[in-house]
Amino acid sequence: MPSERRSRSFYVLATIFALFVLFLYGPILTILVLSFQGPDGGLVFPMRGVSVHWFVDLFQPQSIGDIWGAFDRSWKLGLIVLVLTVVLSFLAGLAFRRRFKGSTLLFYVVVASLIMPSVVVSLGIGALFELLGWERNWWSSALGAHLTWTLPFGLLIMFAVFNRFNPAYEEAARDLGASGFQTVRYVILPIVAPSLIGVALFGFTLSYDELARTSQSGGALNTLPLELQAMQTNATTPVIYALGTLTTALSVLVITVCLVAVLILQRRRAALGSDAGRGV
Amino acid sequence: MNKITQKTTAAPAGLSRRKLLQASAATAGMAVGAGVIDGFPAIHAADPIVIRYAGTGVNAFRELSEQCKADTGIEIQYTTLTSDDVVKRAVTQPTSFDLLDSEYWMLKKIVPSGNLRGMDVSKVKNYDKIVPIFTKGELPDGTKTSRTGIAPIKVSYLQGAESTEFSESPTDFMTLIPTVYNADTLGIRPDLIGRPIESWKELLNPEFKGKAAILNIPSIGIMDAGMVAQAMGEITYGDMGNMTKEEIDKTIAILIEAKKAGQFRALWKEFNESVNLMASGEVVIQSMWSPAITKVRQQGINCVYQPLKEGYRAWAAGLGIPTHVDGKMLDACYEFINWYLTGWAGAFLNRQGYYTAVLDTAQAQMEPWEWAYWMEGAKAEKAVVSPTGEKIAEAGEVRDGGSYWERMGKVAVWNTVMDEDRYMVRKWNEFIAS
Amino acid sequence: MPARLAPYLLAAPLALVFLAFFLVPMVLVVVVSVFNYEAYQILIPDFTFQNYDDVFSSGVTYETYLHTAKFCVIVWLITLVLGFTIAYFLAFHIHSLTMQITLFLICTIPFWTSNVIRMISWIPLLGRNGLVNRALMSAGVVEEPQEWLLYSDFSVILGFVHLYTLFMIVPIFNSMMRIDRSLLEAAYDAGASGWQTLWNVIIPLAKPGIAIGSIFVLTIVMGDFVTVNVLGGGQIASVGKAIWTELSYLQFPPAAANAIVLLGVVILLILALMRIVDIRKEL
Repeated sequence: MPSERRSRSFYVLATIFALFVLFLYGPILTILVLSFQGPDGGLVFPMRGVSVHWFVDLFQPQSIGDIWGAFDRSWKLGLIVLVLTVVLSFLAGLAFRRRFKGSTLLFYVVVASLIMPSVVVSLGIGALFELLGWERNWWSSALGAHLTWTLPFGLLIMFAVFNRFNPAYEEAARDLGASGFQTVRYVILPIVAPSLIGVALFGFTLSYDELARTSQSGGALNTLPLELQAMQTNATTPVIYALGTLTTALSVLVITVCLVAVLILQRRRAALGSDAGRGV
Repeated sequence: MNKITQKTTAAPAGLSRRKLLQASAATAGMAVGAGVIDGFPAIHAADPIVIRYAGTGVNAFRELSEQCKADTGIEIQYTTLTSDDVVKRAVTQPTSFDLLDSEYWMLKKIVPSGNLRGMDVSKVKNYDKIVPIFTKGELPDGTKTSRTGIAPIKVSYLQGAESTEFSESPTDFMTLIPTVYNADTLGIRPDLIGRPIESWKELLNPEFKGKAAILNIPSIGIMDAGMVAQAMGEITYGDMGNMTKEEIDKTIAILIEAKKAGQFRALWKEFNESVNLMASGEVVIQSMWSPAITKVRQQGINCVYQPLKEGYRAWAAGLGIPTHVDGKMLDACYEFINWYLTGWAGAFLNRQGYYTAVLDTAQAQMEPWEWAYWMEGAKAEKAVVSPTGEKIAEAGEVRDGGSYWERMGKVAVWNTVMDEDRYMVRKWNEFIAS
Repeated sequence: MPARLAPYLLAAPLALVFLAFFLVPMVLVVVVSVFNYEAYQILIPDFTFQNYDDVFSSGVTYETYLHTAKFCVIVWLITLVLGFTIAYFLAFHIHSLTMQITLFLICTIPFWTSNVIRMISWIPLLGRNGLVNRALMSAGVVEEPQEWLLYSDFSVILGFVHLYTLFMIVPIFNSMMRIDRSLLEAAYDAGASGWQTLWNVIIPLAKPGIAIGSIFVLTIVMGDFVTVNVLGGGQIASVGKAIWTELSYLQFPPAAANAIVLLGVVILLILALMRIVDIRKEL
């Protein structure tokens, strides 16, 4: 679209976007402020002094709850879920581009998994492992539970990604003698790759923050949300806010660094006259 | 003694821990068992036993597990869960833990599943010293405690080791070995209320419209509601701990009416929510637990655990062993429980504001003035500091509600699961939905 | 590999996950439920009859569904408009892929702080002594702290919008990225105004994304209990919450009955949606 028409609507939309981001960060701002509570302060206002006490405390062992052990499990699980979600949804997304027997059934099973209250799914998986006499673990039963949650999102987003995907590209590839695998690997994958980032983000975020489906399928060692939730059965200190602030700060830092790196690379490439890295 | 056998059973690849335990138990079981009964000292440091301990965060303190490890060599791996999840795990997946920390009222749900074993009281060293609330249904001075609701004595004993039936009179098989218990009442913000509060009925006093809260765990909340309804003179219960359908209807109707009038600011479910509601000033009067009051006070906010003329609503929790545990692990569980009753843990929990099951051994581990403050209702000689380092009370202050006898002696009801439980939960859901 | 078999092989891993971790456990839940109720000496013949009867005879059920449906519709409308607008902005006004990804990441970061923590932080944000109330009072907008900000229908809806707008943005954005830019040029050349292009070109082509986003929002809001519970101060009912309470009391049969009814209602909703836009035909 020509740029001269864009300018005004651009600013209007940019403002809406900025307000939305501000809204998203509302709770985070509160967390940020309250993580600097004084040593006697609680999880709510009033502030009882200002200190970095809780950031220091975060790195001490807690009386109740093992934050770092749980954190360690959660991000690993999140990464495993991320990879599996991307791969399985991508493959299934390809499958759904053609009619196959049972595709409707599979589609509704996937949707049902989205609807079924998570507590029920969780109980079922826990009970299944009990019946089989298998030990429940974050990397077995909980992983399965997470996949029943992330895959519906992954698959449906793949539908949006493959939405009106022009078959001409594949036909061209095939005409040039590419095998099915080659077509996927060298034609389809590069085109949809940027969109897979969305699936990956969903996969990780949903898993990292999953609570209800893990509650009965998690085994003896808790994931982070479960541990934090269980800590609510006793007195919780602003240490959890310190964790929130730290997570956010680190994420922002990492993303900024990556962004700067990418921009520098792009400058260099631009200088060399390449258009690689530009959007589709 | 058990070290030798453990070395010979060096884990073959692919063999699960449980199988390994069963195998070694066959040979080592007897010897270890004997060691436990005779006295403590079987330190497992060379090959630490890890007990998977499932329960809420109420007493899953790191300090306890560390002290236990130092004293006995047994390692405790906490699986901390919300109260709801504890019951669900206990019933549907008992093999996911080796030791269960449960509340007494939950037993009515868990025991029929056959997942808990009756614990052999002869293996519990300080069994005779456990407060008679749990063994006889009376206070140490012989006065009977209330039997309204699930009083621990009603569910303390099983008819046999593998029975799923409770026994009204003491047997040799206990469901849980008690750890902590307490008498609950309403917490208030005297600074925001500005007048004395003496009765449960104040919870629904329109004066506190939009500033009251009640507990949203039906088993507990219904009892708070019952205390309120009775205090208001609206209902006289036949047995508040086991209401009839009609009584449930009436009680819930009172709650619904209050809710529709905007009485409640919120309903809370977990401990920490009650702390936040009170500390933030969203609520000035609500059902609350003793350590939650302490927590609010630590934030410099005046908060009182108000004794009320109608008495307290009490609860108790304890440790139970699931049926799948056997051999060496079973011995380790008994050893841990025995350690729990030797005083260090008791003193630790007393200082949190709970009461412990064996009083003598805990007293031995506490300073006389500490004991006087926590248990005897005396003025604190010095500033009272919690085991985790926070100041709880200034010198000269007294504990809310006074001594152990004044508090536990005035228990009116216990948390409960009624015969009409299913109906009650349905009605409770109606209250939430209204 | 034979082309005929390809879709089966491609879909197999996903199908297996759902077989093992969803279908089989669901069957088991039903079995376990019967088990436990035997133990509590509740007659099995009562089982099917009683529970569905409880669900359908109780006025509260309809009230609860109605209330949940109300949340659903309001949240859906807000997230749809907001999500579409933002997706439009990201897809058509931001030209570099790097920037798009960066903006998405910025929207995602708040969700890496556990929901358990974020949910607690609504109290100091919206409560009587919260940041918002203080800002309003110091700005002289209001005299008294506004209580409807927290523990009300308003706060529940706010929480939903906060959590789920992103679920709308991502699929719509992906659909929009697939729109051939030359179509827009053509529309412009043919003299269509911005709004006409939006209405006649972009929205129809973004329909599958809208449908997918709608499925996300509708299904999650229908089944939610955490947001309703925390931001409703435990006082507002939803279908998910009723099921949750029953389950925490090990009342499997009524919970199962409720879950099945919920499943039925939402599947009907989605069938209706698929009538309008069959997302699978657009692949």
